[in-house]
Amino acid sequence: MEKFNSINGLQEFRSRLLAQFDPRVPTLVISAGTCGQASGANAVIRAAKRVLLRKGPACGVRLRVTGCHGFCAMEPSVLLEPRRTFYPKVGPDDIAAIIDAAERGDIVESLLFVDPQTGARIEKQDDMPFFKGQARTIIGRNEKIDPIRIRDYILNDGYLALTRALGEQNSGSIVEEVTASGLRGRGGAGFPTGRKWGLFAAQRNVSGKYLICNADEGDPGAYMDRSVLEGNPHSIIEGMTVGAFATGATEGIIYIRTEYPLAIKHLRIALEQAREMGLLGENILGTGFSFDISIVKGAGAFVCGEETALIRSIEGHMGEPRQRPPFPIVKGLYGKPTMINNVETWANIPIIVSTGARQFAERGTEGNSGTKIFSLVGKIRNTGLVEVPMGMTINQVVRDIGGGAPGKRKIKAVQTGGPAGGCIPVSKFDLPISYESLKAAGSIMGSGGMIVMDDSTCMIDVARYFMAFLKDESCGKCFTCRKGTQRLHELLEDIILGRGTPEHLTLLEELGQTVRDTTMCALGQSAANPVLSTLRYFREEYERHINDKRCDAFVCKQLTGAPCQAACPVDTEPWRYVALVEKGDYEGAYRVIRSANTFPAVSARVCDRKCESRCSLGAGGGEAVAIRALKRFVTDRVDPSVYRPEPAQDKGRKVAVIGAGPAGMTAAHQLSLLGYRITVFEAENISGGMLTCSLPAYRLPRDIVEKEIESLMNKNISIEYGRALGKDVTIQSLMSQGFEAVFLAIGAHESLRLGLENEDVEGIFPSIEFLKDFNMRGKELARGHVGIIGGGNSAVDAARIALRQKDVTGVTLFYRRTRDEMPAHEEEIEAALEEGVRIETLVSPIKVHAGEGRLAGIECVKNRLGGIDASGRSTPVPIPGREFKVDLDTLIVAIGERPGSGPLASMGLEVDKGGRVKADRKTLETSMKGVFAGGDLVTGPNTVIDAVASGKNAALVIDRFLSGRPLVEPAKPKLPSVYIEPAVFEESEEAPPRAVPASLPPSERVMNLREVESALTEDQARMESRRCLRCDLEFTMEQPAEKTAGAAIGGVRHD
Amino acid sequence: MINLTINGLAVSVEKGSTVLEAAQFLGFPIPTLCHHEGLTPYGACRLCVVEIGEGPGARLVSSCTYPAEEGLKVRTASERVVRARKMIIELLLASCPQSKVIQDLASAHGVRTQRFRQEYEDCILCGLCVRMCSEQMMAGAIGFRGRGTERSIGTPFDVQSDVCRFCGGCMHICPACQLRCTYNQPEKAICNACANLAPPCIEKEQYGDMMCYMNPCVACEIK
Repeated sequence: MEKFNSINGLQEFRSRLLAQFDPRVPTLVISAGTCGQASGANAVIRAAKRVLLRKGPACGVRLRVTGCHGFCAMEPSVLLEPRRTFYPKVGPDDIAAIIDAAERGDIVESLLFVDPQTGARIEKQDDMPFFKGQARTIIGRNEKIDPIRIRDYILNDGYLALTRALGEQNSGSIVEEVTASGLRGRGGAGFPTGRKWGLFAAQRNVSGKYLICNADEGDPGAYMDRSVLEGNPHSIIEGMTVGAFATGATEGIIYIRTEYPLAIKHLRIALEQAREMGLLGENILGTGFSFDISIVKGAGAFVCGEETALIRSIEGHMGEPRQRPPFPIVKGLYGKPTMINNVETWANIPIIVSTGARQFAERGTEGNSGTKIFSLVGKIRNTGLVEVPMGMTINQVVRDIGGGAPGKRKIKAVQTGGPAGGCIPVSKFDLPISYESLKAAGSIMGSGGMIVMDDSTCMIDVARYFMAFLKDESCGKCFTCRKGTQRLHELLEDIILGRGTPEHLTLLEELGQTVRDTTMCALGQSAANPVLSTLRYFREEYERHINDKRCDAFVCKQLTGAPCQAACPVDTEPWRYVALVEKGDYEGAYRVIRSANTFPAVSARVCDRKCESRCSLGAGGGEAVAIRALKRFVTDRVDPSVYRPEPAQDKGRKVAVIGAGPAGMTAAHQLSLLGYRITVFEAENISGGMLTCSLPAYRLPRDIVEKEIESLMNKNISIEYGRALGKDVTIQSLMSQGFEAVFLAIGAHESLRLGLENEDVEGIFPSIEFLKDFNMRGKELARGHVGIIGGGNSAVDAARIALRQKDVTGVTLFYRRTRDEMPAHEEEIEAALEEGVRIETLVSPIKVHAGEGRLAGIECVKNRLGGIDASGRSTPVPIPGREFKVDLDTLIVAIGERPGSGPLASMGLEVDKGGRVKADRKTLETSMKGVFAGGDLVTGPNTVIDAVASGKNAALVIDRFLSGRPLVEPAKPKLPSVYIEPAVFEESEEAPPRAVPASLPPSERVMNLREVESALTEDQARMESRRCLRCDLEFTMEQPAEKTAGAAIGGVRHD
Repeated sequence: MINLTINGLAVSVEKGSTVLEAAQFLGFPIPTLCHHEGLTPYGACRLCVVEIGEGPGARLVSSCTYPAEEGLKVRTASERVVRARKMIIELLLASCPQSKVIQDLASAHGVRTQRFRQEYEDCILCGLCVRMCSEQMMAGAIGFRGRGTERSIGTPFDVQSDVCRFCGGCMHICPACQLRCTYNQPEKAICNACANLAPPCIEKEQYGDMMCYMNPCVACEIK
């Protein structure tokens, strides 16, 4: 390697390299950072080398092995220069095809990246959503450079900044340049780099000055520094050398984690090369300026990222922070002035000095210039390193670049700044990212970790995880940090184990504040952030854990028990009846189902299966146990008479229930068992509520509903049909007739309106009216081409019912988001498509066209998905100019329902804007004493099982009310309590796939109302029940006496 | 000389003094645990925190380690300081309830309840013994090991130290009575110094060759 004795020598060398370099030659660039290698980049590189060797020198394709390109989710990835074709997840077998194509100047279409949003293939890296929004000034250089070849670096303007700096007469101008750039410390604190340099340069008349590169990157989930060190080590060396020249430092040290072997290797090689070429060491480039850099490996203590602890660590002491002042700038390593900057800060220096401060400051915002690299990880589609201009919103990073949450999950929060950072909730996602804004939101920039969390993340668990990390990584010097983190962890553990009390929250807050206030270093001062920030934004989640003993993310085991059981609104024990089916005890299984659920046969058909969505088998990547199908199997087989509870003796007290739907009938039944006399008032002439008027018979045959309700009747219940609230009875009249309590469960029977002109012309029907007329009166309102607006279950029901009406020629459903977001059950959508319903997504109606007082058609606009709204889903945004017209004969509006609560308001009940009666979530109390409300009337349109749950709760609450007890009782976690012998398995037995019940073929079901789905066969059911993982056993098996720690709150009173 | 104000009173102190020294010069009481006049300040127990600065920039610092700075405004008993101090004492009490020193502190600051899970530890890791050993006794026989919850004090690899002269200085200076309480478990004592000295109390016959330097001897008091 040649050694340069002058600045000109290096520049001539660069010109020579440039002249030799032909940018048109196709080059395979393989991303091979530690992460790339872990996902198989080495095999790809070997394969590529083999192919190139075989082809010999005549082959016109070159290979470049580089550091990380940033798109971790797609590793190992290959980039084809100069076309910039991006091949994701390349296997060793794909390489030959890619090289062959590259030689021809072609690409391999089938290996290209597929955009999950549009399904289209994207060729060029720069067109991909992940890369498009980024400004990759630092990380983008990785793909240009083979980190172990200094020529690559020099070719790409490497050491240009050094030559510029050394050419300056006055080193102060470099400090001014850095100051003017507005660069701030990328390690997290955000101290203006230029100011630091100025202070450091001002330390004169000392015998030695140190520069340190802080590469002790310890945040879990953050690895941008590693990628820069691995992919572009010369940029750090150049940055430090320029810094040394500008500030008069004599020696440089890179303090790096031992856990980064590849980075250390590349740094070593780079330092060696730089020294050999005269770019480092004595008399750099013949200018008389000397500076050298050595590497110190850290032993992996998180606290050594703190500058004073880092200095002590280099000195050979224990990594313990000390009091500042004196600051290291004045008195640092070995008592000498020392300046410490983060890896990313150093990597910015060559860019600023070579291209100028002004160009650098153009990026980002006032006071927060330049770009910042974030490592975007967690529950997000595109994990990877993301470099964006400062001031970009979190939404843009998470949604546009990160691609949102995978699957149907909803993003809940993002955790920034590593363990000592905080969680920012989705409601604050429009926050532009800057040092100040994140701090104001209770988090910190930190080194740039960004962990995305969705609704399957429990925030208390997250806080506990970080506290566990911090209590182990606190150096332990400050009593409040050592003991404080330990105690905070203990308190969180208590909450997670179901021992939380409201006092835990007070104590968490008080202690968190003390830890923040009284510790010495930044680690301690921010150690309480995970707790304080989650408490600030997710207090409800804490309260839910403490007061209701529930973890809605199903993470905290002691509060969840068996997930299927915890998910069930009516507290069924699915694991138990599944186990009984396995044993062949179908009657026992029926009793388990019926004891919790008053509508077993109905639920077996139309339940939304919260149990299955939480089944551990499904969560682990497999298919959930077909719990509902097993319930159907049991309820089809067993007669309801096996479970017939006898009502208690008549107490002679009267309760009125309004509405004979699932909520009302459940409450009536449960109360009757307790000995109350119940009168149910029903407006229609038939009971069942929504079950009969809205649900189609092909899903829920009428006789099933009748039989089910019949089985709930006993001598304490009477139903009065045709008696509507507000018309025939009022709350006041009931009270005067001696009813001591009233339970309102009249459902939600008014369809929402589109709010468009011409909405009342003939041919447009609200979905409820349409369904009721058909289901209860047999009237067929639809004809011709039918349009349905909406994407929920009632929209799909309406579509399938319309298809069964004789004058209908076709049915099209219009939904404003994509199919992934449709709230209707997946299998209902599937069935509708099978039967011939067309579904148009990303479409909103904007106009209704009418001719002669009749519907003629609608005008729609195409949408695209925008940012995430408060519900965690993407908002549809209309695309201007993409309007189109559809001719329709019938339009059914199924965009939701609201309770018809007009008469209730006039009776003195408080009703909200959506027509829902205001009732306490737990006690169901309304604004009138003795009047309770539940079901859809309170929640708006909801599922059958939630209505049943509400009815069950109403019975409990009304009983407590009438017997003068407190309405709420302290909650207990719902844990499995009965032990049932698990099934015996043969070693060789393979797990069968999920059982699918037989169903009518589409051709046989369109023109009639026969039930589409049938029950599982006995063999199927027995097999299916064996698939259950039996999560309950963890709680019911005899456990060896375990020593459990006492509660974190206990304490002693000393008075 | 450096001029600063403490609780509104102006004071001038020598350059290099700490805020604690300045406050003590004026007679403002600041409780301490890990501080000792003859040893270098360490700042471990955080009991001596005071509030400096004003407005949103105000913060708490340990007065024993914070240097007196020109124009500094210090409050030694602001609401924030008192709240923090009480919580620190509550934490201490939760860990080391048997220490007379900590009990006295709790009493003096009106801390009457302790809400955490009760522990019975015998060390608060204030580091007085470590500094005593190296700075006054010039031995350096004991030191800190580990970090976080694993942090403890002892000799390297738990082997009896060659440089320990059994002076008992570590026991003498301990505020949490670790060494007082391990008198009858010689294998647990840090330096085994007590094993070489004559016993003052009659109860310790079975350890006839031991003596405790404490005055009063807490071992004897506890019984």
